[in-house]
Amino acid sequence: MKFFAIRSALAIGLLIAPLACKREDGGAATRSNNPKTLSIYIWSEYLPQGVIDKFTAKTGIKVTVDTYENNEVLLSKLQSGVARYDLCVPSDYMVKTLINQKLIQAVDPAKVPNLKNIEARFLNRPFDPGNKYSVPYLWGTTGYGYNTQQIKEKLDSWAPMFDPKYSGKILMLNDAPECFAAALKSMGKSLNEKDSAVLRQAADKLKAQKKLVKTYNSEDYDNILASGDVWLAHAYNGQIAKLARREKGKFAYVLPKEGATVSMDGMCIPAKARNATAAMEFMNFVHEPEIAAEIVNGTNYAGTNEAAKKYINPEILNDPAVYPPPELLKNCEFMEDRGEMTQLIDRLWTEIKAQ
Amino acid sequence: MNNPTARRWAEPLRVFGLVLPAWAALGVFFVAPLAIMLVISFAQRDAYGGIRPIEDLRAYLRSWQWLANYRQSFEGMYLTILWRSVWMAVATTAICILISYPVAYYIALLARPRWKNLLLVLAVVPFWTSFLIRTYAWMLILRTQGLANTVLLSSGLIHQPLDLLYNDFAVMIGLVYGELPFMILPLYASLEKLDRTLLEAAADLGAARAATFWRVTVPLTMPGIVAGVVLVFIPSIGQFIVSDLLGGAKTVLVGNLINDQFSWARNRPFGSALAFEVTAVVLATVAWYAIYARKRGGMEGL
Amino acid sequence: MSARSAWGGRLLAAHAWAVYLFLYAPIAILIVFSFNNEKQTAVWKGFTTQWYSALLDDRFIRTPVANSLIVAGASTAVATIVGTLAALGLARYKLIPRPLGQGATRGLLMLPLVIPEIVVGAALLTFFGVIDWELSLWTVIIAHVGFSTSYVAVVVGARLAGFDRTLEEAAADLGAGPLATFVRVKLPLILPGIVAGALLAFTVSIDDYVITSFVAGTGATTLPLYIYSKLKTGVTPEVNAVSTALLLFTVVLILIAQWLLRPRSGATPGGEK
Repeated sequence: MKFFAIRSALAIGLLIAPLACKREDGGAATRSNNPKTLSIYIWSEYLPQGVIDKFTAKTGIKVTVDTYENNEVLLSKLQSGVARYDLCVPSDYMVKTLINQKLIQAVDPAKVPNLKNIEARFLNRPFDPGNKYSVPYLWGTTGYGYNTQQIKEKLDSWAPMFDPKYSGKILMLNDAPECFAAALKSMGKSLNEKDSAVLRQAADKLKAQKKLVKTYNSEDYDNILASGDVWLAHAYNGQIAKLARREKGKFAYVLPKEGATVSMDGMCIPAKARNATAAMEFMNFVHEPEIAAEIVNGTNYAGTNEAAKKYINPEILNDPAVYPPPELLKNCEFMEDRGEMTQLIDRLWTEIKAQ
Repeated sequence: MNNPTARRWAEPLRVFGLVLPAWAALGVFFVAPLAIMLVISFAQRDAYGGIRPIEDLRAYLRSWQWLANYRQSFEGMYLTILWRSVWMAVATTAICILISYPVAYYIALLARPRWKNLLLVLAVVPFWTSFLIRTYAWMLILRTQGLANTVLLSSGLIHQPLDLLYNDFAVMIGLVYGELPFMILPLYASLEKLDRTLLEAAADLGAARAATFWRVTVPLTMPGIVAGVVLVFIPSIGQFIVSDLLGGAKTVLVGNLINDQFSWARNRPFGSALAFEVTAVVLATVAWYAIYARKRGGMEGL
Repeated sequence: MSARSAWGGRLLAAHAWAVYLFLYAPIAILIVFSFNNEKQTAVWKGFTTQWYSALLDDRFIRTPVANSLIVAGASTAVATIVGTLAALGLARYKLIPRPLGQGATRGLLMLPLVIPEIVVGAALLTFFGVIDWELSLWTVIIAHVGFSTSYVAVVVGARLAGFDRTLEEAAADLGAGPLATFVRVKLPLILPGIVAGALLAFTVSIDDYVITSFVAGTGATTLPLYIYSKLKTGVTPEVNAVSTALLLFTVVLILIAQWLLRPRSGATPGGEK
């Protein structure tokens, strides 16, 4: 009996011990209506810790950061109404959806005077006219990276991604809208195409491409490119730019001349946020020139802040992968929600993957 | 408890009390949420990924529109995907049983008593690391320039690196690997209480060891085997992350389909319908097996 | 034991060792690369312990680790109790035959295993929204209790199958009340099953990503979520280091428990010969 007792005591002890672990406080503090806390929900690896620390040091507001990997989890959480974040950073097309579903609240421009630092071309975008609900954060493009040691010629279009001579050496993002964007752009069409006939042609192109593709992967594409398993990797520019700088002379990023996806995120305040004031203070803080530069330097994605440019690491500022020349950008488009056509694309994507 | 009437009611009451916590916990936090999803599966997706509001309920029901998602899920392409997912789950389960049974047998019957618990825990501990890291570690092993190829090349067994990753071989390794503890532990639980005197009796009666195994051991441990199959086969049908990472995301399984509906395709009604379709298929199979096994007396304890 | 069965025994032992090698191959990689002198885990570039010292300084990894342990511990405790009781009840259904109740309960316990995780996650999130229950670490624990209970119930059920009722009856005949019979006869005999079930429940909980990502509230990030979020910069050695550290910690804990619970003077745990 004593034996049994010792065993149960040990078991219970083992189970309770973790409660004694000290947690960096994010729990109770952020859940009360404490004006001194800010709860941020943002893409992973998208906000350098230094920036957060400086904000806390300046304002005394404690910050918790939770991350998400795709816009739809953010949408689900906001729709449920029981996820109380003060600040979130959705992609452009998601901002529009959030506005339509009344899940985010208006931003008071008086509280974000640093809006003046933002480049004009990022303001007043169609998904949020007048920037009533969002403040631009970072932006990027979706092209592809390639191994310059294996592929000697300088690439500049989508064609190599569909070229049989690179069979088995191609990686595509495991993302239907992005793959369709690549196919549509390589066909000279808009990536927001809604014509079902054109979409089917794009699907056929992707189906033909599939046997050339070694793997579809949306998270680890830079490592897979670095490992040599593939020579061409459909990719978001930030990670490839980082890779190219780390392994000098071995990799390059291509923003194809036919055009590609350009995407931007906007900082927004959920409708049910507890501390909208702190959120706006943060939005303003992020656009102070030196802070904005710190974010760009830390994440390798291009910033939207004009005044920050003089503080940005010149290697990044002059990197065409991060800050592409305007002539390449003119064929780039923002992705839009395709409404009814989404179901067709889903079915086509299933057909592509299933064959 | 001497009153016969009291004793007659005591038993059902006791059973009720025993299953009540499970019904309370799962009833509220599983059945209720799933009921909501069931209702959603009868709705339609609106243009931007929400639910289309139904103006006229009677007309909606009468036009059989509420079954639209289910009708779609039974189309050829989707059925093929479901079939492929089931097959992958069957293969995984079968390989798991083959690999796990000897291990569980060894731990339960042949290992020294002092080491039993340790061996058991050691079988589970690897899975307390993140499955993502474990899968990435497998990618490191199976890559063209990975560990496996490096070892095989340097030992001279092969002269060209083998294609070990981004194909079905890698997927099987990853799936079986991830499910081993869920097969080993139930098998162990069942084998451990195997009465060894029964085995000795069979040997005394002249049975060969193979016969003893198939006609005594296996039937007696059938509950463990069935439990292992339930814990491995059923969740395997819906899995997709391991197969995407190790298989290069080049096939579609029903898990991918459902995941897509809940992410970028934003079609929850269809996704829910698919999920319930899978659920119905699985529960039907289990029910069929339960009835079949009850006649043959094999499925106790499930 | 005859010579033939000794040889058979050795074969089984060899197989078991091979399987354990298979189980630990990626873990070995994990541990080796936690000492890699290179930020990306793709290539080996030399030995260093910098990631472990970074771990000690990293105050941001403490919360996910603590959260994971709390959630796994709490949900396992509850699930083990609820699941064991359910398995016991399910086994007793045979005495009162009520096939509908038995079937329904069996189906209920199997539901968490059948429904794909993403549906469960989305359903729970919607549900919490409907009843206006704010997301937190508690919502994660509740979600985990859901599926963990199934695992425990199935494993304990396997152990309970074919349980020799005559033992219980004998105890009753000798004058023991139902509680004493349970605690001193039944419980010790099914304990290996309960332990196995609890181990599985803990495993499933500590590794859950999908469901947790839907129902975690602010500050409720668990380790799998944290690791997944670090994927963008590659699975850095620091992530390997934290996993290795956790692994070492649990193994040491188990070894201590094993030593404390070692059989004294003849009695073996579980009562086997």
